[in-house]
Amino acid sequence: MGFDRRTFIQLSVGGTVGILFTPVLWKALDDVSIWTQNWPWIPRLKYGALEDQPAVSKLCDSGCAVKVRKVAGSAFGTEGNEDSPLSKGGICPICANAVQVMRNPNRVKGPMKKVGEAFEPITWEDAKSMVADKLAAAKGKVAFISGDQTGTANEVFSGFLAGIGSEDYLQMPCDMQAASRAYNGVMGGTGQVAYDLENSDFVLLAGADAMESWGPTVANQKAFAATHPTGEKPTAIYMLASPVQTRTASVVDAWIPVPEEGMATFLLGVAYHLIRAGKYAGAADFGSFRSMIMDAYAPGKVEAAIGVKGADTAALAKQLLAASDPIVVPGGTSVATATAAFAVNMLLGSLRKVSEFPKVIQSAMSTSERMSKDLLTWVNKGAAPAVAMVYEANPAYSLPDDFKAGFVVSFATEWDETAAKADLVLPNAFTFERFDDMQNPYGIGKQTYSVGVPVCRPTLDVMASTDFILDVAASMGINLGFDSFAEVIAAKAEAVGADFDEASGGQYEGSYSSARASVLGASVLSRAAAPVRGNGAVVLAPYSQLIVGSQNVATTPNAPCVISTNVLKGGTLVAMMCSATAKKIGVSDESKIKLSGGNGEAAALVKINEGVLPGAVAVPLGLGHTVGDEFSKGVGDNVYKILTVRSEAATGATVWTGSTVNVAKM
Amino acid sequence: MEEKKSSGRCGGVLPFFIGFLICCILGWVVIPPLFYTKVEQPVRFSHKVHVEGQEMDCDSCHYFREDGSYAGFPSNAQCADCHAVDDADSVLDAIVEKVGSKDKIEDILKLPVDEMPEGLTELVQSSDEANVKAELEYLVKYALQGKEVPWLNYQYQPDNVYFSHKAHQDVTFEALAEKHVDLDGVVDHAVLAEGGDHNCNLCHMKGIETNDTPPAFERNILSGYSKITMKMWQCERCHAQMGQNNACYVCHK
Repeated sequence: MGFDRRTFIQLSVGGTVGILFTPVLWKALDDVSIWTQNWPWIPRLKYGALEDQPAVSKLCDSGCAVKVRKVAGSAFGTEGNEDSPLSKGGICPICANAVQVMRNPNRVKGPMKKVGEAFEPITWEDAKSMVADKLAAAKGKVAFISGDQTGTANEVFSGFLAGIGSEDYLQMPCDMQAASRAYNGVMGGTGQVAYDLENSDFVLLAGADAMESWGPTVANQKAFAATHPTGEKPTAIYMLASPVQTRTASVVDAWIPVPEEGMATFLLGVAYHLIRAGKYAGAADFGSFRSMIMDAYAPGKVEAAIGVKGADTAALAKQLLAASDPIVVPGGTSVATATAAFAVNMLLGSLRKVSEFPKVIQSAMSTSERMSKDLLTWVNKGAAPAVAMVYEANPAYSLPDDFKAGFVVSFATEWDETAAKADLVLPNAFTFERFDDMQNPYGIGKQTYSVGVPVCRPTLDVMASTDFILDVAASMGINLGFDSFAEVIAAKAEAVGADFDEASGGQYEGSYSSARASVLGASVLSRAAAPVRGNGAVVLAPYSQLIVGSQNVATTPNAPCVISTNVLKGGTLVAMMCSATAKKIGVSDESKIKLSGGNGEAAALVKINEGVLPGAVAVPLGLGHTVGDEFSKGVGDNVYKILTVRSEAATGATVWTGSTVNVAKM
Repeated sequence: MEEKKSSGRCGGVLPFFIGFLICCILGWVVIPPLFYTKVEQPVRFSHKVHVEGQEMDCDSCHYFREDGSYAGFPSNAQCADCHAVDDADSVLDAIVEKVGSKDKIEDILKLPVDEMPEGLTELVQSSDEANVKAELEYLVKYALQGKEVPWLNYQYQPDNVYFSHKAHQDVTFEALAEKHVDLDGVVDHAVLAEGGDHNCNLCHMKGIETNDTPPAFERNILSGYSKITMKMWQCERCHAQMGQNNACYVCHK
């Protein structure tokens, strides 16, 4: 029997039929189909015990008390901590994405020094030596810029700064600073103004976008929700005065269109009616305050200055007088607006404060002391320190004006504009990887203190900046009294009286007290309250949404899908204006325009929105990063750079209210 | 011509049947085992030592957490109840001193036990040579370095399958018998015949709870799944016969 072509074919056919009678082919097909479900780049789930660990997230300005959700020891998400007096189980959009930020490839992976235009890795020991040498050579010409409003970390840094002979501890501009300078500076008070929204029956938000970006947004929302039960009559009235109908405006009981630069005038216009109704404040300058109000803030004059009718301010004053526990909440960085709001609260007998917690580092600045220095004034005076250190802040992005220093140290957790500009980048441990705390976040109604302990093991070569500075201080012979920040936190918790343990952190909840200011600030308000506008075609009405980011944190990884097309469209920011404004400048819906002002330009798409004051253009802050990840870099333009900085009369505060821009069609 | 057409030279249809037979043998006997590669568990864990020797119960390691999820494999924290490592850093330092580098910590396992650092050998509780070796491997590779053991799951299910042990804990042999459930091809007949108080063997390997050396994990070279991973039709058959929902979302969340 030979083996020819025909035999081969018969054998093959038989084999083919035979193999079909076995499971091989079907098994292989089945396995291949399953194999296609398991591509190597598809992430695998991790299985194990679910665990919720209490922590503090310092990503947003106020900070959120959260629970970090972990499975098999790996963090995968965050949720609100229902045990926290601050959040009561809620969480802000930034902190809701905290774990995604922690895992972001954009994080700084280890200490880096700039060599030429590039960065090279450096060891922590070398970094400590380099910083110590630079600081020693600087001979006190050192500045520290902090974006942390609430942390005891500020005590470590300001105490260290004092140790090397510098007082240039500078806070990033914020609402808290304006309030502190108004109450502790202009009005002669002591402590931090508190807003008891929970127990107020009438809340006037004077520029404070409380549900969206002002203060402890989660606590504000909880207070609002508690007084506005679904399907029932509200037990409190909330009103928002602002130039733009923000999301806060969409939920409160009434919106009063008031230009940002005219907010102090508006509040003093309300004070006019209160004084006319017989309200009195026990302050040394009440007489001159009263005279000033009667002379300069009569309804006709207020209407002429800011366009708000006398009948409206009268009706508002009537509601404030009728309320049993009314409160006025100022927003923005204007010290004049904050002073005017506090003066109104004093007339209403509702100005409250919380006391600062005791310091644990005696050479450190108190909260009011560190809030007293104006960063932009310092910049614009031409300050050029030999060394500038930047913590939890991104001044290169969010300051309208650039700052200069001989040697910049950035303690960034992620690459940002300031880190890219720095000479040395020393990655701070992420908020869940370090000890940290929150003292009296600005905007709360009572004393609160929350301590967070590390709940995630660092996966990168990072170090808590506080520990770094404590080590550098020790090497320079500066004794701050502590070897580690964990010890500082333990001491602080004890000084506060918090229920603290090193495994789960702790918290303290106190109360507020009536605030006593020696003056109402008449001499300052008489010069500072009048609205000031630039000479451009339209007034800028910048607004913030936490979903877009903050001045320190760029858009978080999960956020882009929920950013409205009224904010960002096709990668271009959206400028909202009313039809009258659009007609005046010759643009229409979807027109592409260029806004020029301050130190830059911004491209925008026009969106007609009748919820914007005539003559104003509403633009979102927080876009237009030039350094960062795919979610923020090159997305929209940076509105901070088209703001015009000016010094507020009498208060000396640097403000950008009344910034104007020119508009050109593209 | 006729002869050629019928392939008389090759015995007619004989080549066809030869090919048929060869491929049947290949397809039923030779090829199927080639779909799988045998992988050993990362640690030779002896159920016999722990269950018979130490009188541990199944739920010492395999238990329901408070939230109802199932702890299938023990974590280092649980192992530490007996295999506690109080000062891992100093033991690691001693190992590094012996092997010369942090990157070569596992090289200590190549040395005879009496040449290993005392701090390490003190942690070993076994006396039998094979068990000492297994225990040392666990300590050096995992416990001391704070790494969890990547146990291989014989009944591995992919991430797109949601299986709740809690929902199945009451599927008893009695309940199956009562409903006259036909699990031919799903469950080993011997398991059903034997019955018992625990229903684990309905899905898991019979007798694994008392073995000394864990059986090799047979991994499918294409899909990566375990050879005994239960397939969807098997789940569906039992669900259908037990009157349970077979909708997609029941298992695929």
